[in-house]
Amino acid sequence: MTILRARSVVKSYGPTPALRLVDLAVAEGEILAITGPSGCGKSTLLHCLAGILRPDAGEITYGEHQIDTWSEKMRSRLRRTEFGVLFQFGQLVAELTAAENVALPLLLAGTGRREARTAAVGWLDRLGVADVADVRPGEMSGGQQQRCAAARALVTEPRVLFADEPTGALDSRTSEALLGELVRLAHEQRTTVLLVTHDAQVAAYADREVALRDGLVDPTGLGLTAAQGRHGR
Amino acid sequence: MKPGTVARLALAGSRTDGVRVALTAFSVVLAALAILSALTVIAIPELGAYENNGRYRNALLDEPGLRGGTVFTLLLLTIPILALAGQCSRLGAPARDRRLAGLRLAGATPGQATLVAVAETGVAAVLGVAAGLGVFFAARPLLDGPGSDGLRALPTDVLPPLWQVAVTAVALPLVAALAAALLLRRVVVGPLGVVRRARRNRAPLPWPGALIVLGLVTFGSIAPVLRWFSDRERSAPDWLLNTMGAGGALAATLGVILGTGWISYAAGRLLHRFSRWPSALLAARRLTNDPWHGARTFAALLACVFVGAGAAEMRSFFRIMRDLETASAEGANYGLDSGDGFYLNTIDLVDLAIVVAVVIAATGLVVSVGEGIVSRRQAYAALVASGVPRAVLARSILWHSLVPIVPSVVLALVVGTSLIAPVTGDEVSNYGLSAPFVHAYDSLAAYGALAVGAVIVTVGVGLLFLRSSTAVEELRTG
Repeated sequence: MTILRARSVVKSYGPTPALRLVDLAVAEGEILAITGPSGCGKSTLLHCLAGILRPDAGEITYGEHQIDTWSEKMRSRLRRTEFGVLFQFGQLVAELTAAENVALPLLLAGTGRREARTAAVGWLDRLGVADVADVRPGEMSGGQQQRCAAARALVTEPRVLFADEPTGALDSRTSEALLGELVRLAHEQRTTVLLVTHDAQVAAYADREVALRDGLVDPTGLGLTAAQGRHGR
Repeated sequence: MKPGTVARLALAGSRTDGVRVALTAFSVVLAALAILSALTVIAIPELGAYENNGRYRNALLDEPGLRGGTVFTLLLLTIPILALAGQCSRLGAPARDRRLAGLRLAGATPGQATLVAVAETGVAAVLGVAAGLGVFFAARPLLDGPGSDGLRALPTDVLPPLWQVAVTAVALPLVAALAAALLLRRVVVGPLGVVRRARRNRAPLPWPGALIVLGLVTFGSIAPVLRWFSDRERSAPDWLLNTMGAGGALAATLGVILGTGWISYAAGRLLHRFSRWPSALLAARRLTNDPWHGARTFAALLACVFVGAGAAEMRSFFRIMRDLETASAEGANYGLDSGDGFYLNTIDLVDLAIVVAVVIAATGLVVSVGEGIVSRRQAYAALVASGVPRAVLARSILWHSLVPIVPSVVLALVVGTSLIAPVTGDEVSNYGLSAPFVHAYDSLAAYGALAVGAVIVTVGVGLLFLRSSTAVEELRTG
């Protein structure tokens, strides 16, 4: 069953086209890698699918809802309740502890503080960083920070997780460990994952790969994993 | 490095660096104008201790007794101006730090990297002084025009001595560069980035309270000291009274400003303990993480409130004195209204200076709020992208400013009032009549409202940065 679909999506930044008539369907529970060289529009596509950006033309549908016509407020609520997002850099609030950072989406949804903290520590534990629950981001390693960010993205048990170069700032061992955890948890939760990357090793964790080139889905279907051989899992 | 290279590297930053240089130059323009104006007032020829010059329409310039106060007030204005310059120097600091690290990576020594940073402030200050001198000398002929009564509005017919102008022109950039070097003392610029030497991680203690008590006791001891000398038929030395007065007021002001650090920390802990909202949680953690932010940001504003509270109480005191004077038989016979009317004019001048200072301090607050948002833009952009409404972030910024400023303003009002209490007493006597002293609650409330209102307005203006700083583009920069 298709959970997320882009139909003829066009997006430009001023005179520079980023996406040119992109069509994409994502099945529920699927782990999909969006790959391509720098500047091909993969992050823009992810942001459009997550409702962070509104396309200039075309449609984005989530389930049966066309979300690109929704107001910013409705799309924010959707991201807060149904989606999780994970980026490469600086996502954690420097002044909050790891547990408070992870608990933030739950607090926004009206969960009590004690309950939110318990859930946050539980997710930190599942990602192997419960020991830094009361530590601030500045005192953590890059890998620990990214695991906390992943815990924050997953704490609301989202139906779709959007990850934009989630391991771009990590070394290969830490990347593998984090991706392994993410994939395991996604399968456990039946969470759909959209993973933007230009790294073949990262793309290898996906069930399927879509390659972009110059704002279009590459018609040859030859992505990074096809070019370099599938490995990693 | 050749001076030309240093200057080129100092001014080679991004748009934010350009804004910082422009704002630093602007604050130096204001400082130069305040100092040159003070020097001009000093240059007005003295005809005698009690003899008016008869050249100016405004008594603040014409009466020799008021000119000292005018000079003092103009120099006082440099305090919020310096605070503004301090705020400006923090604007876009992370980007500047990355640029300096890039210079180190290219082979610059730590000293050369610091020199480039200091040179940026120095060059901005030189530009500011040049602009300030230009404005000062250009405005003089434009404003010079005696009215039909032959009186001028401003002292545009006198000039400070050239050496004083030259000292100002040289000293301001030097002071600015030295201040920049001082601010960088904890910063270690390395090729891989900038490290700030860790500050003491201890929570602030309420020791500024001791400074406040010391200030109040010192200032309050002036009257007993005067009595002590009077009992022995001697007059108290001026240096002792001036030291006690100025030292006591300074200690109390510093106590209020430094006390804001403890207030921020305590308020942040209470907010964290009892609040249920995510916006309050964000603000509470910022307050406990950097409690001295409030002391740095609100220093000029709190100094204004402190001076304003004292001035308001003195105004009430002089009003009662004047009323008693006019109500007395002697006053009614001779139509006396000289002495206390004179002092009320001085208080008017202080009020005017405070309003100007609050406006300047508010400009510094806008810069501070904007800098706070811009430096957190990646984390804020990630929160917005994950569905956190911008309103939550806006409320957290408002909490972060209001939670420490409200109790700090109350403290400044209480300390300012208490400092003056030994002067005003509970009962005012004049010309054989007496009346109970009436506190200037309306003026005190007005000063409090002005300060808190200024903070709310500046946060509102600063929030204009929030939308652009949480744009999706911020997620793409590492």
